[in-house]
Amino acid sequence: MPETNILQLIIFTILATFMLGGSLTMISVKQTYISAFGFLVAMIGLAGMFALLDNRFLAVAQIMVSVGAIVVLSILTILTINAKEENLPDEPYKFLWIIFTSILVAPFTYLLYKVLTTLPQHFAEVESINTKVVGELLFSEWVLPFEIVSILLLTAMLGAIIIAKDKLKGEKS
Amino acid sequence: MSPDLFFLLSSVLFSLGLVGLVSRKNLFVMYMSIELMLSSINLLLATLSKVLGDASGSVIALLIIAVIAAEAALFLAIIIHLYRTSKTLDSDKYKDLGEIN
Repeated sequence: MPETNILQLIIFTILATFMLGGSLTMISVKQTYISAFGFLVAMIGLAGMFALLDNRFLAVAQIMVSVGAIVVLSILTILTINAKEENLPDEPYKFLWIIFTSILVAPFTYLLYKVLTTLPQHFAEVESINTKVVGELLFSEWVLPFEIVSILLLTAMLGAIIIAKDKLKGEKS
Repeated sequence: MSPDLFFLLSSVLFSLGLVGLVSRKNLFVMYMSIELMLSSINLLLATLSKVLGDASGSVIALLIIAVIAAEAALFLAIIIHLYRTSKTLDSDKYKDLGEIN
């Protein structure tokens, strides 16, 4: 089916452009809220990638958790803090740093890619990974990690409340 | 459609996150770079799940999404606390755990 392949390739290209453009905006722009919007675009692109991989459950989870909760929470925090120009870090050599770090990281990227391409080079011919299969696995083989994650979320919630509280009782200024 | 392209995209996104984490001083950008690295791992796991025809990769990706949520809550609380105490988003200005002065 060459038509489907070409269509998939076009969709992949569009989503990859979204993700790479969003990420590049995120790491290169000075204004924080524009970075957050770049991150938002990248996360929506990632959800599209999950859908392209025929993984409906992860696509929906990505939209709900990453886009709906995390990015919105980040943007809300950024707008609440409302940092003025003088409160943002002064980065005169930002682009030099980014280029220099990219040169340093490039061999690592190449190595990572080379290692990953030793894996099988075609998708398995199975039906799409649906919610039923994921749920069955989650509550049979992966039930201990699931419980640990629930404890982690509780701890993170308590920690976030304690840290973000204005002042603890009895503490002076 | 081969998995190669997904592997390449995942590697590049991870490296972009690493570059952002190392080269920027804005706390929010550092936080979003960490999130980007975790998300690229998620993409890799979903691809492997499809390559091997095994749903375990999707389950791990779901658990990582939960970890990302926990990390976001803690990191944003820490940023709010730091901004409230010293009115800056520059990570170089925070030296509370450094030398005693």
